[in-house]
Amino acid sequence: MDAFTNVLEFLATNIFSEVAILIGLITMVGLLLQRAPIEDTVAGSLRAAIGVIVLFIGVDVFVEGLVAFQTIVASAVGLEPPTATNTLADFLGQHGGSVALIIALGFLLHLIVVRVLGTRYVYLTGHLLFWISVVVAASLVQVFGDVGQWTLVAVGSIVVAAYWTIQPLALAPLMRRVIKSDDWGFGHTSSLAAWMAGTFGRFLGDRERHDTEQLRLPKQLSFFKDVNVSTALVIAVILLLAAAFADPTVLAEQATTYNEDINPWMWTLIASLRFAAGIAILLFGVRMFLAEIVPAFKGISERLIPASRPALDAPTVFPFAPTAVMLGFVSSTIVFLVFMGIFAAAGWFVLVPPMIMLFFPGAAAAVFGNAVAGWRGAVLGGAINGTFLAVGQAVTWGLLSDTAPELATLADPDWYVITWLLLGLGSLTQGLGEAGIWVVAGIIVVAFAAWMTVLKRRVTTSDAALTGEAPFARPDAAPPTTGSSGATRRDQRSER
Amino acid sequence: MSRPDPLKVLTVCGVGMGSSLMLRMTAEDVLKRMEVPAKVEATDVSSARGMQADVIIGQGMHTEAFEGRAPVVVGISNFMDKDGLQQQLTEAFEAQGWLEPQP
Repeated sequence: MDAFTNVLEFLATNIFSEVAILIGLITMVGLLLQRAPIEDTVAGSLRAAIGVIVLFIGVDVFVEGLVAFQTIVASAVGLEPPTATNTLADFLGQHGGSVALIIALGFLLHLIVVRVLGTRYVYLTGHLLFWISVVVAASLVQVFGDVGQWTLVAVGSIVVAAYWTIQPLALAPLMRRVIKSDDWGFGHTSSLAAWMAGTFGRFLGDRERHDTEQLRLPKQLSFFKDVNVSTALVIAVILLLAAAFADPTVLAEQATTYNEDINPWMWTLIASLRFAAGIAILLFGVRMFLAEIVPAFKGISERLIPASRPALDAPTVFPFAPTAVMLGFVSSTIVFLVFMGIFAAAGWFVLVPPMIMLFFPGAAAAVFGNAVAGWRGAVLGGAINGTFLAVGQAVTWGLLSDTAPELATLADPDWYVITWLLLGLGSLTQGLGEAGIWVVAGIIVVAFAAWMTVLKRRVTTSDAALTGEAPFARPDAAPPTTGSSGATRRDQRSER
Repeated sequence: MSRPDPLKVLTVCGVGMGSSLMLRMTAEDVLKRMEVPAKVEATDVSSARGMQADVIIGQGMHTEAFEGRAPVVVGISNFMDKDGLQQQLTEAFEAQGWLEPQP
C-alpha cells in the first residue's frame, strides 16, 4: 500500500501541481487523438510546455511593473498603494495544475453539454478557456480556502462549462444582427458589455441613419490598434505625470531597485516599457501553448459534434464595423481615465489603465452598439466597457487579495461578474466547509438548467421567427434548408 | 518567380492568439485544398513586423500596414469563409505565377 501512496504523492507533487508538465501532457493527448505524426506530437507538447514557462516569466515582469506603477501613482495622489497577501505569479505556482485540469475537464464537460442539450456553439476562444479557468479557480480558492484539488477541479469545471455554454447562446440573437449570418458565435468575456450596448443602444438611434461606417476618423488613431504600442504609451504618459507629483524619495527608491545610477525620469520610461513588455511576454507564452491546444480542441469538437458552430474571439466581429472599433476604444479609454481621476481624487484604489481590455471589449461592445444604433450605440458600448473596467478593477482587487488580485487589472467585464457571483455564493455557503463549495456547484447547475430552459423557449419562438432558422440545432438533425447563406454555403462545402 | 516550397504563411491579429489562430486553421484547410504545401503560423501584428513571410493574411485593418512587406498580402473580413479565402489566394497566387506547374 505504501508504494501506491508514494506513487500518488509523486503524481500530485510532480504532475498535477506542475502546470507546464500538465499542459504538455494535455497537448500530447490532443495531438495523439488527432493522429499527428510522432515528431509533431513531441514538438507540439514541448512548445506548449515552454509556452507555460514563458507565460510565468511574463507574469513576473508584469506584476513587478504593476507594483512600480501603483507605488508611483499612489504617491502622486497621496494614497497608500493597495496591499495584497498573494500575487498572480504565486497563485499560478500553487494552483496552476488545477487550472490546467479545469481547462481540459471543463472543455470536455462543455462538449458533452452541447452534444446532449443540442445547443449550437462550441467555445473555442483559447486564451479565455485559460483565463476563465484561472478566474474561477482563484475565486473558489479565495472564498473556500484550501479545498482538495479534485474538489476544486470538479466544481471549477462545472462553472466554466456552464459559462462557455451559456455565453455564446445568450449573445446569439444580437450576434446575428452584427454578422448577418450564423457561421460562428461570439465567444468572448466582453459579452456583458456587448449585450448591454446591443440592448440599451436601440433607444439612442438607428443604424441606418447613424452607421459608424459613414464616419471618417483621423488616421492617426489607427496606431492604437497595436496594443503593445498603446500600452507603453498610455502607461508612460500617466507614469511621467505621476512622477512629477510623487514624493521624490519614493520615486528614487523605485528607480534604485532597478538601477542605482539611473535618472528617476529615465526610470519611469523604462518602467513603462517593462510593463508593456511584461504583457507582451505573457501573451507570447499564452499564444505558444494555445497554438498547440486549440487546433486539438477544434478537431475533437468537430468530430464529436459535427453540426456545431465555433464561438470565437471578439476581433471576428471587427471587420463588420472597423470605425466602430476605433470609436469604442476611444470612448472606453476616455471613460476609464475619467473614472481614474475621480477615484484618485476620492482617495480610492489606484487604477491602472488596461489597454488591451479597453481595446478589445470596448471595440466589441461598440460593434454591437453600432449594429442597433449606429455611432451613438458604439460610443455607448465603449462607455459601458470603460465603466465596467474602472468599477470592476476598484472593487475586485481587494476581493481577490489572498489569491490573484492582479486578475482585476487583466479582466474583461464577464470576469468581474463571475468573480462577484462566486464570491457572493461562496460567502453564503462558506459556513458549511467543504460541503459549501458543492452547494455552490449545485446552485450553478440549477441556475444553468433554468436559464437554458428560458433561453431555449425565448430563442426558439421569437428569434426563429425573425431569422427563419431555429437556433438550437440537434447535432444529429438534418442541416437547415432555410436560413442564412452562411449555413447553406457551409453545408455545400462539406459535401465536396 | 517560382513559388517557395513550403510557402511561409503568417496569419495576424491584434494580440496573436484568438482570431489569428482560427484564421490559421482556416488557411491551412484552404491551402491543403489548393494543394499548396505551406507552413502557417499565427502571430500578433507587432511580432509579425520582425518576421519573414511569403504570404500574410489578416483582417483588412491589420494588413494595410503590411503592404509590400511580403509578396502576397491578403485582407479578409470573415474568418470562417474558406471559399472566400481560397478565391483571394488563388487570384493573388496567379498574379505571382505561383499556380503554374512548379519546377
